[in-house]
Amino acid sequence: MIEVEELEKTYSAGSVATPVLKGLSFRINKGEYVAIMGASGTGKSTLMNILGCLDKPTGGSYRLDGSDVGSLDDDALSRLRNAKIGFVFQQFHLLERATAMSNVTLPLIYADEYPEDAEKMAEQALAAVGLTERRQYRPNELSGGQQQRVAIARALITDPEIILADEPTGALDRESGLEVMVIFKQLNRQGHTIILVTHDRAVAEHAQRIIVLEDGKIAEDGVVEKQRDPVLELDTIGTGEDEK
Amino acid sequence: MRMFRIAGQGIQALGTNRTRTFFMMAGTIVGIAALTVIMALGKGTEKQVMKRVEGFGPRSLMLIAGGGKDLPPPDFSVTTLTLADADAVHSQIQNIEATSPVAFKRMPIKAGTAQTQATVFAVEPGWFAAWDWFVTDGDPIEAEDVATLARVCVIGQTLSHDLFGNASPVGETIQIQNVRFRIKGVLERRGTSPIGTDFDNRALIPLTTGMRRLFNQEHITYIRIKVKDLDHVESVKQQVRQLMHERHHITPPQEDDFRIVSAKAVGDLARGTSGTLSAILIALAGLSLVVGGVVLMNILLISVGERQKEIGLRRAVGATRRDILFQFLTESLTVTLSGMVIGSGLGVVITLTLQQATKVPVVLSWEPFALSLTFALLVGTFFGVQPARKAASLKPVEALT
Repeated sequence: MIEVEELEKTYSAGSVATPVLKGLSFRINKGEYVAIMGASGTGKSTLMNILGCLDKPTGGSYRLDGSDVGSLDDDALSRLRNAKIGFVFQQFHLLERATAMSNVTLPLIYADEYPEDAEKMAEQALAAVGLTERRQYRPNELSGGQQQRVAIARALITDPEIILADEPTGALDRESGLEVMVIFKQLNRQGHTIILVTHDRAVAEHAQRIIVLEDGKIAEDGVVEKQRDPVLELDTIGTGEDEK
Repeated sequence: MRMFRIAGQGIQALGTNRTRTFFMMAGTIVGIAALTVIMALGKGTEKQVMKRVEGFGPRSLMLIAGGGKDLPPPDFSVTTLTLADADAVHSQIQNIEATSPVAFKRMPIKAGTAQTQATVFAVEPGWFAAWDWFVTDGDPIEAEDVATLARVCVIGQTLSHDLFGNASPVGETIQIQNVRFRIKGVLERRGTSPIGTDFDNRALIPLTTGMRRLFNQEHITYIRIKVKDLDHVESVKQQVRQLMHERHHITPPQEDDFRIVSAKAVGDLARGTSGTLSAILIALAGLSLVVGGVVLMNILLISVGERQKEIGLRRAVGATRRDILFQFLTESLTVTLSGMVIGSGLGVVITLTLQQATKVPVVLSWEPFALSLTFALLVGTFFGVQPARKAASLKPVEALT
């Protein structure tokens, strides 16, 4: 589904060209749960932006579902993001003055057709992240973990091909973070493709596969031997065994 | 429709941040309200002017005894204007439809025991056509009456009412300063002049009767001239002046012993400085709209900065540049159009209050609304475009971080 070949991204300011991605190649299939890992400055944000169709490569190719992203114009990229990608950001990026419901339906505003049962879809998405009761709450009435779950529901509403999560637990405490990871795991089980971008190996180990970036290149691409189970870890917190 | 949904996002954004929206709107509200009030006042003045011009007769000129530049009343001490002048004007100048020489005085009038004062006009039969003012009951003053110095009169409705109540006065006799006159007819009602003179408190008598039997004078007070069509009014005025200079042996800069008043002069006098004043006020209202527009633009620009993340997020979930542009333009246009509606409403309220409180003439019409709508659209677009473009040009990647 995702085919990346010799992908390059070079930022140029005046005569100075800074190569950030220096020829990456990998494939991600439908239904995979992949973590992209790397320290800051290794190009993982840049890669995420390209995979999310927010930015275009300067070399090589990125094919998403067969279409060559590098050759698309700005409008086509917007449409592609709307139809195929669900974003989850570290800082949630919810509309402050809108209710959870309104936040969740936001991507539908920009779809070609606004579904008649949008409200029902939003309710289902909120139910999937366990926030049925909080539909009419505004972000400032929700905890960080709840806000991130609203953001996940928003990513789910268009039933995207890929859910792209950028440090989704970065702004959360451990318990809320694990709750979020539980949701990702469930979504993956239901068949969603999830790409998790993180600097933290502990977070990355929730995925089935880890691609490690170093200096704009792939340093490691392999299956996670011992995938972490967030449900189990949450139980541990609950019983206090984990406390030190 | 996708466009409607995006417009809805803009309107929602305004609704959720009411303070900001109010400040964006304030300039438009003030400007439009001011515009509405000023235009209503201007139109009110103009209507009053037109009424006076109509009352005077747009095609009419008055050749009045006595110099100077003022409107009537005439100078009763000047005795140089004569019937011969009236004949000369009538026979020597082209494009005149009617002339009517008039002598008048205010006099006591009696009928039985009833007594009053009224203005007595000594007129020729042409008077009725020259003033477009006819009898409703009985007969007008006729040529024969003038020829025979008949003691007959036509009276106005106020005079009739004062002397005879609601009964028909035709055939009755009245005494004007001890001279008995038979009433031939009653004039149509004309109402009062803008300065409060009652037009209907009058009596018309034959010119000759008036000059010889009542006023005992050889001169007349004024000559009313009705020009055939509007285009000739100015040229007739010039010709009359020239003729009068010849006849009265006046060579400028010697001062005239007559003056010629036209409907235009009446209008200009009534209008006074109000035209200039309202032009200045309209300019001020326009200025306040521009200032309001600049404020709107600045708040929008600040808001684009503040809402960078929101814009980035919208872009990430599928908004195109055009969608963002459209949303922000919707916001600015909604602000100016709502401002226009509120401002117009406020303007109407102020106008009506002003009318109630001060009795100044006002006319509410569609024009200020059309003008306000145009202004609102222009200001909203012109001052909204730059912030909207700034918002649309944000790169999603940069806006999100």
